[in-house]
Amino acid sequence: MTDRPDLGWLLTIVAAVAFWGWLLSRWATDWLLAPLGIGPGRGENYLSPAPLEDAAGTFEGTAAAVGPLRVRVDPIATVLDGAALAVEVAPVLADGAWHTIVLTAVSLLLGLAIAVPLAVVRVYGGPFAWFALLYTELIRGTPLLAQLFVLYYGLDLAVWLNDVDVVGRGFVPEYAFWIAIIGFTINGSAYQAEYIRGALESVDEGQLTAARAVGLSKSEGIRYVVLPQTLRYAIPAWTNELVYLIKYSSLAGFITVPELYYRASRIASTTLEYTPVFTLLALVYIGLVLTATDAMGRLERRVAVPGLGGGEGRQQARTEGE
Amino acid sequence: MEALLAPVETVAAFPLPELAVAVPSEEAVAEVLGEDWAFVYRNRWHLLGGAAVTVALTATSLLLGFLAGFPAGAIETYGSGYSRSLVRKLGVLLRGTPILVIMIYAFFVLPIGIVVGPVVAVLEGLDSLLAPTPLAVPAVGEAFVAATIALGLRSAAYQSQIFRGALASVGEGQMRAARSVGMSRLGAIRHVIVPQALRRSVPGFQNEFTIVLKDTSIAFAIGLGELLKRSNDLFTQQTTAVLEIILAASLIYFVLTFGTNRGLDYASERYAIPGEGT
Amino acid sequence: MSRETAGTADDREPGTDPLLRIEDVRKSYGSEEVLRDVSMTVDRGDVEVLVGPSGSGKSTLLQCINRLTEVDSGRIFLEDLEITAPETDPNEVRGRIGMVFQDINLFTHLTARKNVTLGLEKVRGMDREEARLRADEELDRVGLADQADSYPAQLSGGQKQRVGIARALAMDPELMLFDEPTSALDPELSNEVLAVMEQLVEEGMTMVVVTHEMRFARGGATGITFLDEGEIVERGPPETLFENPDHERTARFFESIRHD
Repeated sequence: MTDRPDLGWLLTIVAAVAFWGWLLSRWATDWLLAPLGIGPGRGENYLSPAPLEDAAGTFEGTAAAVGPLRVRVDPIATVLDGAALAVEVAPVLADGAWHTIVLTAVSLLLGLAIAVPLAVVRVYGGPFAWFALLYTELIRGTPLLAQLFVLYYGLDLAVWLNDVDVVGRGFVPEYAFWIAIIGFTINGSAYQAEYIRGALESVDEGQLTAARAVGLSKSEGIRYVVLPQTLRYAIPAWTNELVYLIKYSSLAGFITVPELYYRASRIASTTLEYTPVFTLLALVYIGLVLTATDAMGRLERRVAVPGLGGGEGRQQARTEGE
Repeated sequence: MEALLAPVETVAAFPLPELAVAVPSEEAVAEVLGEDWAFVYRNRWHLLGGAAVTVALTATSLLLGFLAGFPAGAIETYGSGYSRSLVRKLGVLLRGTPILVIMIYAFFVLPIGIVVGPVVAVLEGLDSLLAPTPLAVPAVGEAFVAATIALGLRSAAYQSQIFRGALASVGEGQMRAARSVGMSRLGAIRHVIVPQALRRSVPGFQNEFTIVLKDTSIAFAIGLGELLKRSNDLFTQQTTAVLEIILAASLIYFVLTFGTNRGLDYASERYAIPGEGT
Repeated sequence: MSRETAGTADDREPGTDPLLRIEDVRKSYGSEEVLRDVSMTVDRGDVEVLVGPSGSGKSTLLQCINRLTEVDSGRIFLEDLEITAPETDPNEVRGRIGMVFQDINLFTHLTARKNVTLGLEKVRGMDREEARLRADEELDRVGLADQADSYPAQLSGGQKQRVGIARALAMDPELMLFDEPTSALDPELSNEVLAVMEQLVEEGMTMVVVTHEMRFARGGATGITFLDEGEIVERGPPETLFENPDHERTARFFESIRHD
């Protein structure tokens, strides 16, 4: 890495700083400073898009004035228009990104909490092994969107959640958000259970035998010896799951959760500016996904067992794949 | 949201030949399972027609994904310089963006009208050759083409990774051995590496297949009348039967994914190289 | 045949202090009989070496002794404790018997020291500091005090196996089982492991060792048992079995490994 002080690397750093600087400062403005009356206020722009729009207007009018060459300056106008729109929608997207991130992170962790016992039951048997199999196969065999529909339209969760007093007040989000969390948790738990099952099976059988030979019970052996190794093996798969959840959290927009996609599609359908809005949206998602893969890569190197060649090498192999 | 769903196609229920053999009557279903299941049963052909669109969309998307993804994987493995770096960057873009966004982009931003004309012409030609098929005509339209492009290109980005991994897993020794008997580099790739790599990519491909099949449901967003969209139309018609309809649709999805997975398992056993585990 | 061999075992000079008694143990996997009426006694302080061709049931016998494998019939006693009784807690048995594996099986995610402390903390309930001191003592005993913080993947095969021995010794076992401890190692790495085992012999540890290392058998063993096809063919002091075996099968076996 160090022998590559090239432009691409520099651009990546600049882009990362700009992206997270924007998101973090936006959140800070909305929740910390706005209540105190500092800054532009909740959801208000830092900059006014007006000068950019004016500039765009100027270029559109000056196409003929550049002389005999008759250079078309329309593309410049388009770019400036896009920039103006970006400035205008940025606060809304930042708020949507917050919902996307919370939805993803909470569902991933809750899903993991269900997935670990599910995978252990599946591998080490017990009377519930068939139940674990049925659960994972059913969830993995049907589309996430259909699952969200079952929860949102099919069951009376909405009625039930509306009765809970705190839902939808202050910082506590609307019931659709909770339904989305339930849906993503269930969906994610089935996939994570599969990843963890794979990792459990890749831990050498001798490890459990050796644990039992020093007098640990089977469940202690699984807990202290097999699982700690498993969870390390599972990190690459876990990265995939994180990326998957970030991207598929966009489906929560269908059940009116105000995450990134929902916000963008509302803007697009009112302004009819599909191209710039969705381009911007895609960029925000890519920013989130690349951050997630990078962070998980760091985590993997951090917890890698020294001397086990994998860590660095596998990471390399995967970065190439991105 | 409604504005996005503007170009909804109205899909006429297809007059499919009724089977003469012991088909339970609607009344019988209503009596045993209740009126809501009878509603599902009454609309079974509508739902199955949606399933047919789902299958067709899966097939076209996987095909496009293979046609673009295999060369992309080969370029990532054997290519150099700009071609490789370009393929990689495109891959990052496609893998980092939600399929929903890609699909909306394909539908609203790309000039798919240019593609739709010829595609419809080809399909109509097929239709007149093979007698009227219920699948092709109602499905094809801008939404179908946009969905194919979106799912296909996204799938290509993932398939390229499957093939890249498979190509890389064929040992260096195979290449050296092929060169040593006088094959060119390209000949070695084609006759020695690729046949081995294709077999090794079956498990990854199986996974990709399931993902594409399930993600066809997201074409709902651009109003394509596939299985989930049709279910949605049905339950807005009869709101008491929401759960029944979605469960029925989910069952169809499950049968499709489960069935094809077992089928591919069988195929990979059948075509495995004897003595080599999969 | 089995009558006769059982007789041989009983005729042996009766031990003053029997620690391990194996009585008529049988074990099959499916239709394959791996152990057929195996009986033997190991006295405290004895070093019993089990030899025999692969598939003769040696490793299965070891695993039955600490109940990593359950017997089909027959009984095994550690002093007065019937190991094979269903009400006996296998974890208690394993706490009193140490085992060293052919494929070593160090916990790959833990340092050498932590490999040793895990059982002390979780099974013996020692506090962390006490366990650490104990682990360092055992690592010192196998000559690896300086490698306590290394992870298994950073150790050589011989060092790993010595950590494996330390891990077993830390539990203060009354009996140590060695299942081909050197057969996964290069010859030059075996020596350091054998040296540790010889040191244990001198300290008077009771051991049951499955090995092909005849130098160890000659030097340290008090008795050699030759197993073939699941039964004890012959048992006796090393000199007798090496120089003057009663059975042809025994003679042929020693002949064959001499040529390896």
